[in-house]
Amino acid sequence: MSRKTERLVNLTIALLATKRYLTKSEIFRTVDGYVGTPESKERMFERDKDDLRNLGIMIEVGTFDPLFEDESGYRIKPENYQFQLGELDSKDIALLSLAAEAWRGAALDSSALSALVKLHAIGIETDSEALPDLAPAIISKDANLAIAISAITSRTVISFTYLSEALQEESRILEPYAVASRYGHWYLFGMDLDRKDLRSFRLDRILGTLSTKGRAANYDIPATYSVESHLLENRSQQSAELYLRSGRALALRTRSIEIFDKKTPLGWERVSIKYRDQDRMAEEILWYGEDAVVLSPESLRTSVIESLQAGVVRYG
Amino acid sequence: MAEKQSTPLEKAARLLDLVPYISTHQGVALSELAAEFAVSESELLSDLNTLWMCGLPGYTPLELIDLEFESGFVSIRNAETLQKVRLLTKDELVILLIGLDLLTKSIDPKRIDLLDAITGLQTKIKIIIGDIAMIAPIVNSSYRAIILNAIASRKNLQILYHSLIRDHLTKREITPIELMVDHGYEVLQAYCHHVGAYRTFRLDSIADISISGIQQPLTISPLEDEAFEMEITISKRIRSTLERFRIAVSSDAAARSESFRAFSFSQDWLIRSAMSTLAATEVLSPISSRLELARKCRKTLDLYESALFDNIP
Repeated sequence: MSRKTERLVNLTIALLATKRYLTKSEIFRTVDGYVGTPESKERMFERDKDDLRNLGIMIEVGTFDPLFEDESGYRIKPENYQFQLGELDSKDIALLSLAAEAWRGAALDSSALSALVKLHAIGIETDSEALPDLAPAIISKDANLAIAISAITSRTVISFTYLSEALQEESRILEPYAVASRYGHWYLFGMDLDRKDLRSFRLDRILGTLSTKGRAANYDIPATYSVESHLLENRSQQSAELYLRSGRALALRTRSIEIFDKKTPLGWERVSIKYRDQDRMAEEILWYGEDAVVLSPESLRTSVIESLQAGVVRYG
Repeated sequence: MAEKQSTPLEKAARLLDLVPYISTHQGVALSELAAEFAVSESELLSDLNTLWMCGLPGYTPLELIDLEFESGFVSIRNAETLQKVRLLTKDELVILLIGLDLLTKSIDPKRIDLLDAITGLQTKIKIIIGDIAMIAPIVNSSYRAIILNAIASRKNLQILYHSLIRDHLTKREITPIELMVDHGYEVLQAYCHHVGAYRTFRLDSIADISISGIQQPLTISPLEDEAFEMEITISKRIRSTLERFRIAVSSDAAARSESFRAFSFSQDWLIRSAMSTLAATEVLSPISSRLELARKCRKTLDLYESALFDNIP
């Protein structure tokens, strides 16, 4: 057990300290822990390289002597090993630490812990006095969130079963691009390889565990991709006009703009509100029953009236 | 406490992180170091003993890392190669990016210094990993801090609460008991002095909050609430409708095309949910709910047909 740990640390030190590329034979000769037949040393080394890559340590392969091109060597460039966020002050460290603390006990607890250790190792006293009293918390314990994030950062294709609106189990295969949380739900975005289009999925509608397909670094996320603009694109908004009974339909009211320049009956306000999905909007208006009346657009008004008429027939 | 054995890789990662940490915290107590790395002291001692055997090729005392920890305090020498803090992995950068998003939305807009610092950090991170993660939080982190404070110091809270079910804002004095997660939403279990009963408050519906000067009473007699039940059938938008009624969603549900049972402590919530989903659901029982729905549909439809809203342009 600990021999392997020791070998990994020694390999890191050797590759980090060297100013030139070390050949495999040099590594086997000088780094402690490579024992056995040439084949078993070779296997050990390959596994060690993968392991270090999983820790985010990049091993560079190159030729150390231009005259012997076929003999490649290995090294770790210090700039690829060390903390990469540049100079930070105590306020930055305090903010980053608080950002990591938000994940304690949640889906990415271990990444939070390792990030915190690194931040503290910088050795700058954090200035928590400078911050207001905040207790940020991510409450999701969904294991798929951690798998999705790893798949995105390593560019690994994933497949999963998704529950459709009609409760059908659909198989999906996706190049994952991004994760985002809105309205208290986590969403996964990416290129759907069957449908050849950008799609989004609510994480809690995925059945079972995401599985990764093939190797890492299997695709590129377009350089112009931005999760924020992806969200905005999806939101082709429409605008509805409603009457709201005074003092009622509070949630609709807070999202709306009051219209003053049109005739309005006493005890009501006329407002305009933006929405994306007509079915959702109709449901929200009906939630408030006789405290909200939709005027336009016609399709939304008709859908609400038809639901009410159906209700009168069904329950009346 | 049951100990989880680290894998050799986890242990190696920890050793690489121990070196810079000890370098900037020379003389740190073993117990403090163990707490920082979330390991037991015995596991930490095993780490330090392993680290002691590591160093540059040659592995003579000149090349080995020199550690001192017998005294219970740890110091390190001869570890220049590993002294730099290790880079953040991409997964770590993603969680920091999201965590910073959470902070932004909870910081007073007047604290431009902090907001600028956050933007600066997020820009640095996005250059490395891209614009691939974000959160629009629904709960204010400063409210959560106030609640945790009140629970710890056994103080009451004053809240301004927006009840979606009753469709009103009320000011309430509550005795906080516990933060929990209910159907994916963060809730506060509390005794509400406004109604004289235990209530569950969704954190995202708290419009304002402050610690009240009043000391928390020690014993409160619990009041049992009774759950209401509604039987429904669903004809379309099955997944969304089941989610709305908080009925467990699974693909088996489709196979069984029979009725579903929804439960809530609030009859009002069940009625409003059924009103919302008129296009997709039918309530089979109780009869009283059907009558209430008939009345509500009639009254609302009347508004659409009434002269009150005539002359609408």
